Amino acid sequence: MARLSFSRQILPLIAVAGLIAAIVFIVTGTPDRAVTDPPETPFRAGGEIAGKPRVAGAGVVEPSSETIAIGTSLSGVVEAVMISPGARVSKGQPLFRVDTRSARARIREGDAAIASARAAIAEARNAEATAARQLALYRSVEDAAAVSRAEVIRAEGDASSARARRQVAEAELANARARRASAATELERSTVRAPIAGEILGVDVRPGETVTAGPGAGGPYVLMGETNPLHVRIDIDEDEVGRVAIGEAAVVSPRGEADTRVDARFVRAEPLVVPKRSLTNQASERVDVRVMQLIFALPDEAAGDFRVGQQVDAFIPAKVDR
Amino acid sequence: MSGDIAVSVHGVKKSFVTAHHVHPVLHGIDIDVAAGDLTYLVGASGSGKTTLVSIMAGILTPSEGTVKLFGTDIFAMDHRHLVDYRLSHIGFIFQQYNLIPTIDAAANAAVPLIARGVNRHDALAAGNRMLERLAIGDQAAKYPHQLSGGQQQRVAIARALVHDPRLVICDEPTAALDARSGRRVMDLLHELAVGEDRACVIVTHDNRIFDFADRILVMEDGLITHDGKEVPVEEDMDGTA
Amino acid sequence: MLWIAIRMLTGDRQKFFGLVFGIAFSTLLITQQLTLFVNFLGRGTTAVYNISSNDIWVMDPVSRTPDTALAMPSTALERVRSVDGVEWAAPHLREGATVRTPDGDLERVTIIGVDDTSLVGLPDAIIAGDRNALAMPDSVIIDSVGTARLFGEEVDPIGTRLELNDRRAVIRGIVDAEPTFTSQVILYTRYSNALTYVPGARNRLTFILVRATDGTDPQALVDRIESETGLRARTREQFARDGVDYLIENTGIPLNFGITVTLGFIIGITIVGLTFSLFIRDNIKQFGALKAIGVRNHMIRKMVRAQAAVVGLIGYGFGVFGATLFIKLFEDDPTFKGFYTPWQIPLLSLFAVFVILAITGYFSLRPVLRVDPAEVFR
Repeated sequence: MARLSFSRQILPLIAVAGLIAAIVFIVTGTPDRAVTDPPETPFRAGGEIAGKPRVAGAGVVEPSSETIAIGTSLSGVVEAVMISPGARVSKGQPLFRVDTRSARARIREGDAAIASARAAIAEARNAEATAARQLALYRSVEDAAAVSRAEVIRAEGDASSARARRQVAEAELANARARRASAATELERSTVRAPIAGEILGVDVRPGETVTAGPGAGGPYVLMGETNPLHVRIDIDEDEVGRVAIGEAAVVSPRGEADTRVDARFVRAEPLVVPKRSLTNQASERVDVRVMQLIFALPDEAAGDFRVGQQVDAFIPAKVDR
Repeated sequence: MSGDIAVSVHGVKKSFVTAHHVHPVLHGIDIDVAAGDLTYLVGASGSGKTTLVSIMAGILTPSEGTVKLFGTDIFAMDHRHLVDYRLSHIGFIFQQYNLIPTIDAAANAAVPLIARGVNRHDALAAGNRMLERLAIGDQAAKYPHQLSGGQQQRVAIARALVHDPRLVICDEPTAALDARSGRRVMDLLHELAVGEDRACVIVTHDNRIFDFADRILVMEDGLITHDGKEVPVEEDMDGTA
Repeated sequence: MLWIAIRMLTGDRQKFFGLVFGIAFSTLLITQQLTLFVNFLGRGTTAVYNISSNDIWVMDPVSRTPDTALAMPSTALERVRSVDGVEWAAPHLREGATVRTPDGDLERVTIIGVDDTSLVGLPDAIIAGDRNALAMPDSVIIDSVGTARLFGEEVDPIGTRLELNDRRAVIRGIVDAEPTFTSQVILYTRYSNALTYVPGARNRLTFILVRATDGTDPQALVDRIESETGLRARTREQFARDGVDYLIENTGIPLNFGITVTLGFIIGITIVGLTFSLFIRDNIKQFGALKAIGVRNHMIRKMVRAQAAVVGLIGYGFGVFGATLFIKLFEDDPTFKGFYTPWQIPLLSLFAVFVILAITGYFSLRPVLRVDPAEVFR
């Protein structure tokens, strides 16, 4: 049987080869649907809290004083800005100043009015003295013929009018003083000062810009707050509120750094459950979810990992027995 | 030329039952075929000779009667043993040879051995030997369609004899052959199929080969009407098929 | 004896090739159509399997599939995170939108918003560009099929500006993702970005991708998430299955392919059955002779079985090879992208071949088994 038989040998061989090829195609072609680990892991519970009952929440970092949006009490053109973002300020330190020229002008006006009132008082006093002396002289003359009655009356009138003029001048002085003091107060008000000690978080005012006072006006011109310590405000879905162990420390991670986890001390729970504020940059977001807000203090050593306004994810221990 | 009784047929009757009536073919046959004899079974078509050899070979079950081959009652065996008995002890030669067209002469000759489970190599070797004894060893690698009629029948004889059977049943072995080939085939059969402890039964019409017979049985309408060394003159057959 | 059977089979070349062809053709038809069927249905799972990092999907209770989903409030993410056994949970937005191409054409796209920081939800295989490019403003990453659909095969889309919901979107990368059933263009972007690309609605959070902690059984976690949050949670496999069920319920795919597969089966039975019975009938005299010689029916059956096995093996080999080759050759075509031959299907077609041969073999064998050995004397 030297000759290969096509039907009995070659054909089955081809068929087997085809079968093997088919198996290879099947094995290599089958898609891999195994679960793999992502290159980066999303926020996850780590450390101690991983195995325990917990409540997750999302929130933002804020100053412990909350963010103070500073306005101005005077409208006007900004003359000088004394601080820059990131600066630490003490209580009462000037932040920026609105144009003071009109206030200063009115102070000078007041000063002039005081001076002029003082001069008027002096002049009135002289006149009063002169009139008093004249009247005394007439009164001391015995000889009735020497001084007519009419002259005496005129002298008496001169004296009283001189007194009245002094009193007017004195009143004018007081008036001028009051006006000056008012101008000085305005000068003081044109400088905006830090209400508390803290850090400047944002400055939205530059010399030459107009600031407007009053409710509904522009601003905020300067944002500041006490950033030592930092707080985080964590939103908890109202459905989960009952599960939260109030008072326990939370595990907090900055968004995008799931591996940075810090323990944040409980500060307080806001008494008011509020509609969820969307953190998705979408102005027109309407929500039907309400959240409870819990405030936690970040430890000092973690301050470098967090920035005010940054979004965070958090895990809070749940009540063990619920 | 008589020895032991090779085939013993007693009171065999056979009827074919169709849907509407019973058609009797054999009406009671009693024959003993002695070992060492070349026995002819002749008769007109429809006389029942094919039915009789089928029964003798254990292929057909008789309606009545017994058949003993070398003392064994073959219809007392269950069917499976009967088939195995055929395979071991009976050789068949058919009118149409019935060789398998897709295997060569040696393999055709070796079929009974292969069917018995002899391994392929030994079986083919035995087949080749048998073909050589039949003087067609040089044709062993040829396929049936490449052989002449006489050669094909010799392959068929090789197949009938390769497993050394004790009874050889031949159905018109020379009918499809010319006179010369027919005689050669009969020579070979006579030489190889007949021996001390074996028998050969040939069903034939072919009066050209009657001179080989040790015994001629003539059948007519399901009965043996003549038993002798010669064919009776009035029973001269009607040609050579 | 069996080798004689095989010789008998292969000796008649026409019928042998006819049988092989019949089996090969049926196998090809059944395998290929079943493969296409499974893969088209598999399009319902691509949204799930394109993401390899999560094992659970969480959604609104009414959401059914990746493309039929109702968004949840954003706090749902935190509620899921609160569940014990959750390793992490990432927001996943999946929403349809209309994009305006540089040519001014409008095209329906699927916007997928992935987790802002970890980019969980983005397929792993990036063909061009860098996954971190998504951090840049207005960045999107497009899928490869979408690129071909939107720009054609040759154009390099990186840097192309699109307009989405009046917003700018710049293509910064191509990702290798399998297309969905509708093969819409898919644009991946960060979750917060996606919110601006998708026309406003109150809730946007379509899905939450959840990974169970090591050692947590996903099914147990699914049950816990459902009971604690009231949201619907599905394991990855369940959700993929949901996508398939949706296609089954809402498309004519099963019927169409079912008809073709049945036709393949019927054609196979017909061709093979007719040829096989012809073959057996041709050889019935030989079988009869063998039976007369003393070959048992048992052996005859074995012989026919061997013949069927040879025909089956060869035909099946060719058929399966053809079917898998087809998938292999068209793997780059967008229509067939990601198609593969599930190993169960060749087994199924093997079973079909077995059934075809068993039925035809049974009916072909009957005359052989019934043939009276005495016939050979007539």
